Amino acid sequence: MTVSTGTEAPVERARVTLDRSLRVALVHGREEASRLAVAQLALASGGQIVARLRANDPRSFVEAAQALRDAKPDVVVIHGGPKDERALCELLEALRLGCGAQRPMPRILGLVETSVAHALRLRADPFEFERFAAASEMVDALRAVRRARNDDLALRDTVIEDAARALATTNGTTALAVDVTERSTSLVLARPDGRIEAAHLVPLGLGMGADHVVVRASLDNVRRWLPWPIDAPALLERVFNRSRLSGGPATTEAAVLLEMALAREAISHALRDAADAALDVPAMRSAQSILITGQAASFPTAGQSLLVLVDGLEPSAVSTVFREPDEGRAQRIGMVVTVTPRRTAKIRIVRASGRSVAQVAPGSFGLVEIGSDVEVAVDGAGVRGHGRSGELGILIDARGRPLRLPERDGERIPAVARWHTALQAAADDRRST
Amino acid sequence: MTWRRERWSADHSLPIGVTKRAQVGELVRAGDIIAAGATLAGALRIPGARRLGLSPSDLNRELRARVGSDVVAGTVLARVGRRFARSVTAPIDGRLLHVTVDGDLYIAPIVDRWTVRATLDGVVSRSDDAIVEIEGDAWCFQGAAAYGPDAIGELTLGVDGPNADLAAARIDVRLGGRIIVGGARVSAEVITRAHACGAAGLVAGGVPPAGLRVVYGDAVTASGSPSRDDRPTVLCLMGFGSGALPQAVYEPFAALAGARAAIHTASARLFVFSTADIGQSETPSPEVGLTEDRPATDVPVESADAETDETDREHEEPAQTEEELTPSASDGSPRG
Repeated sequence: MTVSTGTEAPVERARVTLDRSLRVALVHGREEASRLAVAQLALASGGQIVARLRANDPRSFVEAAQALRDAKPDVVVIHGGPKDERALCELLEALRLGCGAQRPMPRILGLVETSVAHALRLRADPFEFERFAAASEMVDALRAVRRARNDDLALRDTVIEDAARALATTNGTTALAVDVTERSTSLVLARPDGRIEAAHLVPLGLGMGADHVVVRASLDNVRRWLPWPIDAPALLERVFNRSRLSGGPATTEAAVLLEMALAREAISHALRDAADAALDVPAMRSAQSILITGQAASFPTAGQSLLVLVDGLEPSAVSTVFREPDEGRAQRIGMVVTVTPRRTAKIRIVRASGRSVAQVAPGSFGLVEIGSDVEVAVDGAGVRGHGRSGELGILIDARGRPLRLPERDGERIPAVARWHTALQAAADDRRST
Repeated sequence: MTWRRERWSADHSLPIGVTKRAQVGELVRAGDIIAAGATLAGALRIPGARRLGLSPSDLNRELRARVGSDVVAGTVLARVGRRFARSVTAPIDGRLLHVTVDGDLYIAPIVDRWTVRATLDGVVSRSDDAIVEIEGDAWCFQGAAAYGPDAIGELTLGVDGPNADLAAARIDVRLGGRIIVGGARVSAEVITRAHACGAAGLVAGGVPPAGLRVVYGDAVTASGSPSRDDRPTVLCLMGFGSGALPQAVYEPFAALAGARAAIHTASARLFVFSTADIGQSETPSPEVGLTEDRPATDVPVESADAETDETDREHEEPAQTEEELTPSASDGSPRG
């Protein structure tokens, strides 16, 4: 994988991988803040959540122990306050019963106060218990577990975070990196001051994670993005067989369009999980710079990557979009202007060579071609911002938010096909590579 | 994807509440009960060390009932002192399940019993409260994914050729307890009918995922769904949809028909216990009639993890290991 920290040239080459899947069981206190804390930890560390237990879990002691045994966690992440101490100790007993014979034994990582940690440590025997004072330290520890056998390895999620951080610093704006691979989907929001919010979901992707996209999103929600009718069993077969074949570029138009459909839902569900963990999803949607990486950036045309992004992410402001395939250079592909006019409105587009006005009707969706990669400012219809047009130009999206697709095939398929055509995203329209 | 005869290992995960299990070094045959235990309901926590005035570490010394044993209400669980004795008694009939770090005791009522049966002829190589692992020689075919509980039975050809689909009409109660080779495809109707007729399991080149969803629910994925409950057992050999079996795969099925076999769903493997020489099959080309979008290669599904977790795969650890054989599947199966 090549990751650039600028907008044009790759600056770093490294052996990047998701490394081994980390099975994480989450144990948290009664408070909502505690649930959010462990959810954020799990998302930031790229672990696969295999069990969740809370202090006031309705499951019985035996059921909790069985759930933990079945989950076979590598790591148990605990968070809770002093009020939860007793209940957390009880859950540790369930862990001792459920996973006492597991080899290797799960490690327990606690983001708890010192006094609570002392009580938990006593009851954690025979498991290794580590207390962390800050969430970032625990995320580092969880990543270290994933990297255990390859210390020189760069984890893909850290590389994506570095890319988002570099983009934010370079442009002085909030930046969002969207990475969709065979089995993972990541969203990383970086601010100019270097702070980041990250959600790395595994398994959720276009290949080995494709079946999980369908399980989470439902088959109908994947199918709705396809610009042709397909019956559910046939689509399900395609998705299941993708899950067991190794990666590689899609070779047919149908495969590309299916990957695009899966990518939209993967991004959408990553956003949902990020929202559930109280990450700043509105800021992600309004990020001024957006970088697409992974397989979502490797579609044959730039329009396909852009379409997947706007459909899955549903940006809410003016954003400049870059894409960077795993084996390619970063390129600025377009500028997205999201407007939600109630009636036909005008948007003024200003650039060095002059200005123009675009008429925007509600529901419209299309490119305004204004020349390749020029500095542009837009104003009007409740939107104002600036950016660079990129290779495709300015995409004005007036379809509304949240984006709703017609339910009937007869209305939806033509609409989806129209959107594909607007961005030259049908596989026949290969304007760019 | 090929038939191989060599030494394999199979993990058998045990639920909570194990009563007895095979010990390391014990010889077992596929279908033998290797562990038995109790299904437990909500457990009661009763004070132990505190009531007896002991430190938690001393409680074990005073226990009168072994942890994991069945007790009846009133049974003395622990006792100290002679003239002014203090004791802890069981408040209910059940299983003394667990002793906490604090020296408290958990007792849970027994609501059912379970057994786990071996899926391999061989020797127990690991045995603890969580897993019984068996190592043994067998013919084995590594499938793509498996669903349902483990199954043991006589391998029976249900089709006349590698390209044929198994018709529901060919299944009746005479196939009870057998593992049926279903050719290129088995439908949801065939799966449910076979289960209703008492068949131990089904093996087919492909299974339509829509059918799998009908039988196992919408949460089913391509990586399989091993379970302990009374459900049909299905092993997909090549993938999903319809997968005509290559001759190199099908011919050994014909040669091994009638032999004892087992489906280990956690690792998606079919073991056949026969000394028949079916030759070392060449790796067949994946001429699967699957709806594929990309060039097919021979990487199994769950290698998502395996990609970087080579050690686990080297040891052939299954992605999940949890199984209990349905009595109907194994009890009625011929032992040859």
